[in-house]
Amino acid sequence: MGESSEDIDQMFSTLLGEMDLLTQSLGVDTLPPPEPKPPRAEFNYSVGFKDLNESLNALEDQDLDALMADLVADISEAEQRTIQAQKESSQNQHHSASLQASNFSSAAPLGYGTNAAAIGISQYKEDLPPPPADPVLDLPLPPPPPDPLSQEEKEAQAKADKIKLALEKLKEAKVKKLVIKVHMNDNSTKSLMVDERQLARDVLDNLFEKTHCDCNVNWCLYEIYPELQIERFFEDHENVVEVLSDWTRDTENKVLFLEKEEKYAVFKNPQNFYLDNRGKKESKETSEKMNAKNKESLLEESFCGTSVIVPELEGALYLKEDGKKSWKRRYFLLRASGIYYVPKGKTKTSRDLACFIQFENVNIYYGTQHKMKYKAPTDYCFVLKHPQIQKESQYIKYLCCDDARTLNQWVTGIRIAKYGKTLYDNYQRAMAKAGLASRWTNVGTVSAAAPAQPAQSTGPKTGTSQPNGQMPQAAHSVSAVLQEAQTRAETWKDKKPALGNHHQPGTPRAPQAPKSSLPPPPPVRRSSDSSGSPATTPKAKGTAGGGFLSPPIDFLPPPPPPPPMDDPELPPPPPDFMEPPPDFVPPPPPSCAGTAGSELPPPPPPPPVLDPDSARPPPAVAKRPPMPPKRHENPAPPGGAGGGEQDFMSDLMKALQKKRGNVS
Amino acid sequence: MAGMKTASGDYIDSSWELRVFVGEEDPEAESVTLRVTGESHVGGVLLKIVEKINRKQDWSDHAIWWEQKRQWLLQTHWTLDKYGILADARLFFGPQHRPVILRLPNRRALRLRASFSQPLFQAVAAICRLLSEAVTHPKTLSLLRPYKVVLAGGVAPALFRGMPAHFSDSAQTEACYHMLSRPQPPPDPLLLQRLPRPSSLSDKTQLHSRWLDSSRCLMQQGVKAGDVLWLRFKYYSFFDLDPKTDPVRLTQLYEQARWDLLLEEIDCTEEEMMVFAALQYHISKLSQSGEVGEPAGTDPGLDDLDAALSNLEVKLEGSAPTDVLDSLTTIPELKDHLRIFRPRKLTLKGYRQHWVVFKETTLSYYKNQDEAPGDPIQQLNLKGCEVVPDVNVSGQKFCIKLLVPSPEGMSEIYLRCQDEQQYAHWMAGCRLASKGRTMADSSYTSEVQAILAFLSLQRTGGGGPGNHPQGPDASTEGLNPYGLVAPRFQRKFKAKQLTPRILEAHQNVAQLSLAEAQLRFIQAWQSLPDFGISYVMVRFKGSRKDEILGIANNRLIRIDLAVGDVVKTWRFSNMRQWNVNWDIRQVAIEFDEHINVAFSCVSASCRIVHEYIGGYIFLSTRERARGEELDEDLFLQLTGGHEAF
Repeated sequence: MGESSEDIDQMFSTLLGEMDLLTQSLGVDTLPPPEPKPPRAEFNYSVGFKDLNESLNALEDQDLDALMADLVADISEAEQRTIQAQKESSQNQHHSASLQASNFSSAAPLGYGTNAAAIGISQYKEDLPPPPADPVLDLPLPPPPPDPLSQEEKEAQAKADKIKLALEKLKEAKVKKLVIKVHMNDNSTKSLMVDERQLARDVLDNLFEKTHCDCNVNWCLYEIYPELQIERFFEDHENVVEVLSDWTRDTENKVLFLEKEEKYAVFKNPQNFYLDNRGKKESKETSEKMNAKNKESLLEESFCGTSVIVPELEGALYLKEDGKKSWKRRYFLLRASGIYYVPKGKTKTSRDLACFIQFENVNIYYGTQHKMKYKAPTDYCFVLKHPQIQKESQYIKYLCCDDARTLNQWVTGIRIAKYGKTLYDNYQRAMAKAGLASRWTNVGTVSAAAPAQPAQSTGPKTGTSQPNGQMPQAAHSVSAVLQEAQTRAETWKDKKPALGNHHQPGTPRAPQAPKSSLPPPPPVRRSSDSSGSPATTPKAKGTAGGGFLSPPIDFLPPPPPPPPMDDPELPPPPPDFMEPPPDFVPPPPPSCAGTAGSELPPPPPPPPVLDPDSARPPPAVAKRPPMPPKRHENPAPPGGAGGGEQDFMSDLMKALQKKRGNVS
Repeated sequence: MAGMKTASGDYIDSSWELRVFVGEEDPEAESVTLRVTGESHVGGVLLKIVEKINRKQDWSDHAIWWEQKRQWLLQTHWTLDKYGILADARLFFGPQHRPVILRLPNRRALRLRASFSQPLFQAVAAICRLLSEAVTHPKTLSLLRPYKVVLAGGVAPALFRGMPAHFSDSAQTEACYHMLSRPQPPPDPLLLQRLPRPSSLSDKTQLHSRWLDSSRCLMQQGVKAGDVLWLRFKYYSFFDLDPKTDPVRLTQLYEQARWDLLLEEIDCTEEEMMVFAALQYHISKLSQSGEVGEPAGTDPGLDDLDAALSNLEVKLEGSAPTDVLDSLTTIPELKDHLRIFRPRKLTLKGYRQHWVVFKETTLSYYKNQDEAPGDPIQQLNLKGCEVVPDVNVSGQKFCIKLLVPSPEGMSEIYLRCQDEQQYAHWMAGCRLASKGRTMADSSYTSEVQAILAFLSLQRTGGGGPGNHPQGPDASTEGLNPYGLVAPRFQRKFKAKQLTPRILEAHQNVAQLSLAEAQLRFIQAWQSLPDFGISYVMVRFKGSRKDEILGIANNRLIRIDLAVGDVVKTWRFSNMRQWNVNWDIRQVAIEFDEHINVAFSCVSASCRIVHEYIGGYIFLSTRERARGEELDEDLFLQLTGGHEAF
C-alpha cells in the first residue's frame, strides 16, 4: 500500500502541476478501520466517476486500500504544496483553512468488496471528480493577510474560494486518467493511476519507487494480448493512456512490469545489430569482443548523425498468408522507410523491391507460441499491426524468423527504423535513472533521505503530535538510519529555523515523505499499525471527527526513531514539519504562536519550541487523526530496514526531482 | 651580378641565359631572356622579368611555372640551383589565379578565379569561403574533372568575379547568392533523360575516378584556365548541419542529393522516391514563392496556430461527445448525400447513396435523411485511420478511401463525392479526423484550399514530359511529376499515376519550412542503405577478377561486381594502418587481429582510394573535436603521398 501511495504521490505532483482533478472519495471509509478521513472540504474527493467506481469495484480489496491510501496521500501532498505556495505569498492561512475546510466526507464507501475479475484497466474520464489537489498549485495564493489565529476562518474561506476557482479550471482541463493494474513478476499486482500525459517512463519511475527494484534499464512496461498471443514492451516515450485506450472494454490484455533485456540490447551491444554479417560466424566472434570505446563510437555513428542509421538487415523470413495457416518464405529487407521484399524473379536491388509495410501506423509485437497457434515454422515470430486492432484480422502481419537472434535483430531494427533517435534518448534517460539510483544506494544516502522524508510526511499539519505516529514507523525503519536522519533533521532545524525550512525540507522532503511512508510494507502494518499505535489512532480518529486533512501521510513517513526517541526526539518530527515551517518561515515566531492550532507546521524549525508550544499540539492532534487512516492503509514499512532504505533512496531521488521543480 | 663579360664579349662568370615565357602556357607567348647564374634567387629572377617586360601592371599574382617538372617556383628565396633549373627549362611567368568554370552541386555554373598554384585542398577551401562564409566544411567538398560531355542544359551561368566576399554588394552578387542558397526548380524531364546515368556498378566507379588530387595544385593536374570543373561533396560525413547558419551548404547538399537520386547514382525504392519527389515539389514551391524565411509554410500563421492547437489537443482529443469543452464550441459538421461503397467478400453491390453525417471525428451514415436522428447504419471514428485519395479529375471521379482501424481489424470504406468542392471539404475533414482533430481546427480551411489546389494541379499537370511552361509563380505552375523522379519511374508510370502518389506523400510534408524540408530530404537520402558509398573498381590480391570496393565514411565494402552482393565489410575503426605502393599501384591495409587486405586499383588511381581513406580518417578525428579549425596539415598528411610521376 505504501508503495502505491508513493506512486500516486508522484502522479499527483505532476497532476497538480497540471490541474488535474483528483476524484475520489474513495472509500476512505471502506478501509477496514473506519478511519477518519483527512477531511478537507475542498479536497474532498467527490467521487464522481462512474467508470472510476466501476474500475474500483473491479479491484481487489487490497488494491482498493492501496489506492485509497494513495489518493489520500496525494491529497495531503497537494495540500502541502498548496500550502507552500500560499506561504510564499501569504503564510498561515492555508493551513487553517484546509483544516477547517476539511469536511472530508469521504464518499460513501465504495463497494470494494466486490472483487470483480481483475480488469487490467478501468478507464474513467476526468469529468468525475473534483480536482482537489491540483488546484493548489494553480492557486498559489491570494491569501490575505496572515492573521493566523483569529482569522483562520477567513482564511479558510479564502482557501475555499481558491479551491473553487481551481476546480473550475480543472473542469476545463479534463485530464483522462486510468487506474491500471500492473502485474509484477511475482504474480502480484499493483494498481496505480495513470493520467493521460504520463509516458511509460513516468510510470516506470513510479513503479521503481513502489517496488524498490534496482531500477536497471531492462525494466519495462509490457503489454500482453492473450487472445492474439502477442506482446511487446512499451517504449519509454509512449503515452500509456493512449496505448491502453485502444484496448477493448472486455479485454484480457494485461500490463506487466518486468525486465526484458531486449529492450535496450542494441545500446549495450550495438555490434550484434550493426556489425553482424548475416551468417558469418567470424564476424559474430569479433563483434562480441568489441570494447566499450568502439561500442560508443559505433553508437555515436549510428544514432548521433544527421539521421539515424538503421541496421542493415535482410534475409529470408516466413510470412503468414492472409487468412490461412500456411507460411511462405520470402526474402525481406529492412530499410529506414519500411520492410520490403524481393518479388519473385527479381533481384534485391533497390529498384526491384516491393514494399511490404511501412511503420507509421503499426506497432511491432513478439508472437508467442505461434508455432502452436498458427502452425508457424518456428516460435520466433513477430507481428506488425495497427495498435487499435485487437482481434484477429487480415490486417495483422505475421512473420517468422529462423532463430531468436534473427528475431531480435528484426524487432530491434524495426524499432530503430520506427522510432529513430528517440530510442537512444530513452535509453540515455533510463541509464541516467539507473545510474542515479545505484549511486544513491551506494552513497548510503539513507540517512539523509530518511530525515527528509519524515519532514515532508509530517507535513505542516501533523506537527508535534506526529512523534507518536512516527514512533511506530521508526521502529520499522532501521533504527540506525532513523537516528541519523533525526540527528540530521535536528541539525537542519537548527539551521532552518531562521531560514524557514522551505529549502531543505520543502523540496526534498515533501516529495519523499509520502514515498518513504509508502514503500514500506504498508498493508501489513495497517492492521498492526492501527492497533499498534493506539496513541496515534485515537488522535487520528478524533481529528477525523474534526475532519482533518490528509496529515496521515505525514505520519507515516516520519520514520521516527524508536520509541525511546520520542521524547527526546520530538525534534525529528520537526523535520516532518519542515514543510510547515516554510509557511511560517516568514514570520516564524508569530506564526507559531498564532497559527499554532492550525499551523503547527511552522514551528518545526525550532524543535524544542514545539514541545513548549501548546498550541501546536492541538493542531497536531487534529491533524493526526487523518494520519492514522493512512497508516492503516499504508501500513508503514513494518520494519524492514532494508525496505526502508530503498524507499529512502527513491524518495531522495524524488525529492531531488521535485526540488528542482520547486526551485524552478 | 650575373652577366659579367670580358671586352670580347665573352661571359666570364658562370651565368647563362634563361628564357621565360610571359603569360599562360601558350606556345606563342612572348618571351624574355635573362642572364642568370645558378646562384640567382627566384625572387631576383622575378624582378628581372618584370623589368624586362617593362609594362605597368600588377604582377603580384604572377609566379613562374616550370613546365617540364610541372611545378610552381613559389619559394622566392630558393636559388635556381636549388630548384635544379638549367637553361633548357621551359618556364612560364603567369598568374597564379586563373578563371575556371565551376559547376556546383546544383548544376549551375560559376566563373571564378581559382588558385592554380596552391594545393587543391586550399584552393577549394578558398572557393568555399568565397561562395559563402558559411560553408565551413570545405573538407567534404572536392573537385571533379567533368564529363567529356559538358552539360548543355538550359541553365544560364551566373557570372561573378571573385572579388567581393560578401554577396550583398550589388544586385548581381545578390542574385548569385540566391542562386547558391536557394534550391533550383525541378529540371526539365527531357534533360533528365538525356543525362548519362550509371546503369551498373561499374558505371558508378567512373564518377569516382575523376576526383582531382587534393594535395597538388590545379596546374599540376593539367587543368587549364577556362576549364569546367565540378564542385561536389566528396566525403559523406556531414556534421553540424544547421539550416540557420549554413543555407548555402544545406542547399548545395540538398542539390547534390537530389541529383544523385534523379540520375540514379543512388537507388531507392518506389515508396522512397515518392517521398523524395514530394519533398522536391514542396521545396521548389517554397523557394519559388520566395518564402525562404523561417516558418515558410504556405501559410505563415499556421505554425503558431498548430502549436497552440497541439496544446489544446491534449484537452480535446479523445474526449467523447460529452466533453464539456466541446459543447461550448460549436463544431462544424458536414452532412450530405454521398455514395458509399463497402467492399466485402461475396458482394456485388456497388456504390449506394446514403445520408452521411460527419461530426467531430465521427462519420455516420443513414439510409436516408429522414432516419438521421435515429441509429445510423454504421458509425466510424476516423481517428487514426488511413485516408487515401482516389481521384481522377478528368474522369470526374472523386473518391475517398478510408481504412478505419477497429479492434477487429481495418474496415474499408469508399466515399464518392460529386464534385471537387464536396470532395475537398470531406477530404479535409477526414484528414483532420485521422489526426484526431475536428473541423473546428483552424487548419481546416487551409486544408480545403490545399486540396482544391492539388486538384487543379492534377488537371493541368500530368501532361507530356517537358512541355510545361515554367510559370514565374508556383501557384500557376503545374506539377510535372517527371521532373521529380528518376527516369526509370518515368518509364514505369504515367504522369497521371505519379501525380496522385506524389501529392499523397506531400500531405505529410506540407507543413515543413524550406530548411526543414531540405534537411528532411537530406536525412532521407542518408537513410538509404547505399548512401555515401563511393565505388572503385579494384582487384584484390590473389583474386583473378575485378571487384568493387565501396568506400563509406566508416567502412570499406567488398562488393561482387557482377551481382552487387556485399562480400565483406571492414570498418575503419578496426584499421591499424594502410600503405600505398605507388609503383605497383597497390593499397595494403592492415586491420586488427592481423587481417590484411591488399588490392590494386583498376578504375581509378590508387591515390583516389588513398585520399578517400585518409579523408575519412581525418574526418573521424575531427568529429571528436568539433568546431576546430580545419587542420590542413593533418589532412594533407593523411591524404598526401609520394606518387611517382
